[in-house]
Amino acid sequence: MENAILHSTAERVLASRSEARRRRATIYLILFLLVAWSIKVTVIDDTDWERIGSFSSILKEAGRFFAIDFSLFPKLIEPAFETLVIACLGTLLGVVLCLPVIWFGAANITPFKPITYPLARLMMTLSRSIHEIVWALFFVAAVGLGALPGILAIAMRSIGFIAKISAEAIEDIDPKAVEAIQAMGGGKLQVLRYAILPQVLPVIIGVTVFEWEINIRRSAILGLVGAGGLGLVFFRQMNTFNYPGVTSVILAILILILIGEVLSHYSRKSVI
Amino acid sequence: MPILEVKNLRARYSNSTPEILKSLSFSVEADDFFAVIGPSGAGKSTLIRCINRLVEPTGGEVMLYDTDVLKLSSSELRRLRRNIGMIFQEFNLVDRMSVMDNVLSGRLGYVGTVRSLFKMFPRSDIDRALQILDRVGLIDHVDKRADALSGGQRQRVGIARALMQEPRLLLLDEPTSSLDPKISREVMALIKEIAGEFQVPVLCNIHDVQLAMEFCNKILGLQDGIKMFDGATETMDQQKLDEIYAMEVL
Amino acid sequence: MNIPTTTAITGPPHWRRFRFPQSLYHFGALLGVLVFVVFAIDYLNIPLERLLTMFGRIGTQLTERYYPPDINYINDKDYFASVLDTMQMAYLGALFGLLASLLLGWFGAHNVTPSRRYVYPAARLITMICRAVHEMIWAILFVTILGFGMLPGVFALTFFCTGFAGKLLAEEVEAINMGPVEAMRATGANGLQTFVFGVFPQVRVAFTGIAIYTWDVAFRAATVVGFFGAGGMGWYLKRNVLQIESERVAAILFSIILLVLVSEIISAWARNRVAKMA
Repeated sequence: MENAILHSTAERVLASRSEARRRRATIYLILFLLVAWSIKVTVIDDTDWERIGSFSSILKEAGRFFAIDFSLFPKLIEPAFETLVIACLGTLLGVVLCLPVIWFGAANITPFKPITYPLARLMMTLSRSIHEIVWALFFVAAVGLGALPGILAIAMRSIGFIAKISAEAIEDIDPKAVEAIQAMGGGKLQVLRYAILPQVLPVIIGVTVFEWEINIRRSAILGLVGAGGLGLVFFRQMNTFNYPGVTSVILAILILILIGEVLSHYSRKSVI
Repeated sequence: MPILEVKNLRARYSNSTPEILKSLSFSVEADDFFAVIGPSGAGKSTLIRCINRLVEPTGGEVMLYDTDVLKLSSSELRRLRRNIGMIFQEFNLVDRMSVMDNVLSGRLGYVGTVRSLFKMFPRSDIDRALQILDRVGLIDHVDKRADALSGGQRQRVGIARALMQEPRLLLLDEPTSSLDPKISREVMALIKEIAGEFQVPVLCNIHDVQLAMEFCNKILGLQDGIKMFDGATETMDQQKLDEIYAMEVL
Repeated sequence: MNIPTTTAITGPPHWRRFRFPQSLYHFGALLGVLVFVVFAIDYLNIPLERLLTMFGRIGTQLTERYYPPDINYINDKDYFASVLDTMQMAYLGALFGLLASLLLGWFGAHNVTPSRRYVYPAARLITMICRAVHEMIWAILFVTILGFGMLPGVFALTFFCTGFAGKLLAEEVEAINMGPVEAMRATGANGLQTFVFGVFPQVRVAFTGIAIYTWDVAFRAATVVGFFGAGGMGWYLKRNVLQIESERVAAILFSIILLVLVSEIISAWARNRVAKMA
């Protein structure tokens, strides 16, 4: 190709590249300024810098957590078990409560679409928008302290995700199986049992196990607001300023979550 | 004076798998278009990758311009790699990037890290890229996304990228296996032309024997990691081919 | 016409609904769950009798104590400031968390990590710890070390988002096509260049989705970290819960739900835009 044409192409390419570069740079600059302003407003202005002290005093404060109170471990076994049981019951209850929500929330089987479908979707969003601590606070006010509000809070929090995934799974099923059952004269319930359930059950079990794992994490901290388990021990250790004890509790929680991950990994392998 | 001298090259992927290359020796001259042929599993792909150490050999010497590739540190290796252009079977382009950016990425070994991260390649690189793109016939596709091109066009981007490196050796790993026969011919012809123009030796792993015989001046026949043939294309005959491919059922 | 069939030779085929031992396992599993539930209810001293009255109580609570929500309380300049604070904490936490997750997603991916022996397990461990520790625990820890305010909140949210996004990103990176990565290495590019040119373009779209998801989760957590002193709306929540000002709590909860819903709508829109761009 002629040198002149090549040269003009080069100019064009260079121009568009530097323009793209300039555009990107301005966006980054704006973002950077936004972030810097946010940091100034939230962190720098809001923090009581005198109280925090020097960097070394912060490190010292943090260092208090770097010890483990081994004597605490035997006393952690029961609360850990309690945490686990609360997570299990909460997940189970959540699945049970989920069933009507899944039914209403699947566009293809919902009984009265204009009302029941948005209602179910709203329920799912509410469940996922309200933090488990908030649910726990509500239930502690309603039923008192102990394991029950924890179980209820976890159940309500889990509904959202399990129902969402399960309803989507039902919406994605192969309609041919439904057609076949209907053609044979099957009613709604039979369609559910023979066409929908077999396709959807593995998904429901999978997402339940997934949510159960996360619920162990949640159950551990609900004790902070009175719902029993390791959270309560954590609360007490913090109040008595026994920082190594706090670390021990955190370690116990990590171990519990690890067990949960291992169990969920193996159960998923056997189901799928 | 050979550009590339391979002596007793050995390679295996792990201690539990069998040896892929068994004490291989050959050399490549400055004007060679060297084909490596052989049945599947003969070690052709491994051999190509041992030259620039994308696969680590377990023994032997690879002398490129009097430097033993196998003895280089990782930063020295990177500096050597920028002089070795490689063209892949699956093209290995970055699909979401434009043709221009894909070609420019050939200069990554030459451009400083920070500049390259912001895609600030020097003017000389852009000029060179456009010249090469013009040479391979893609000047009208400069700003298109790589995945918007046909297979043959994509391979030509790959060729352009390799040429951007100002390579002193070209490694080809089955460059035509993903292309249909007519395009394959065009691509091989293009590579041969350009290699001749820029005076770059080529080592090419190819499984289409006809293409090898048509475009390459020397042939290395591998079977099971062992050299069965090493010589000029004219001296290759059907009997020798049968020996090399003896294990292949098809 | 009598076509001899195998059944004529061996007798009618044997089929039963309840196959042994599969059905035994299923039945056993169900029974096990039931037993567990009974045991658990007893072990945790759950007052089942109270459960029935509970519904009544929740009903009366909702109607008497929580209704009507005290909107005037939250219609307040300071409260709005705390809402803004909450949002800023959330997006700072999400931003820093995402930046950190880029590093952890790279180092914690088996196929592109610089060192499989040391860097990979270290990155995976850090990601796991950040993920496993609940955001509230991070909040409490940082409040203890740094005092009250938004600084510990930002730290807590950052650590939480790092774990959250890091694991998701590492999974995406492990699923990429290694071809372009090999090509970059072959041109002599160093590790960082290979990541930017070979790895990141392949996960860019997924990363945007992860970013939106992370913002969602960060915002939800940000509304509550104030409960433990880490700044934002949560502090109002705590103060009124402790003072049992239920109508005010209702109003605060209402505002939280509203904000989260708005944020969800925005992220759903953003996700739509990204899906169209890909």
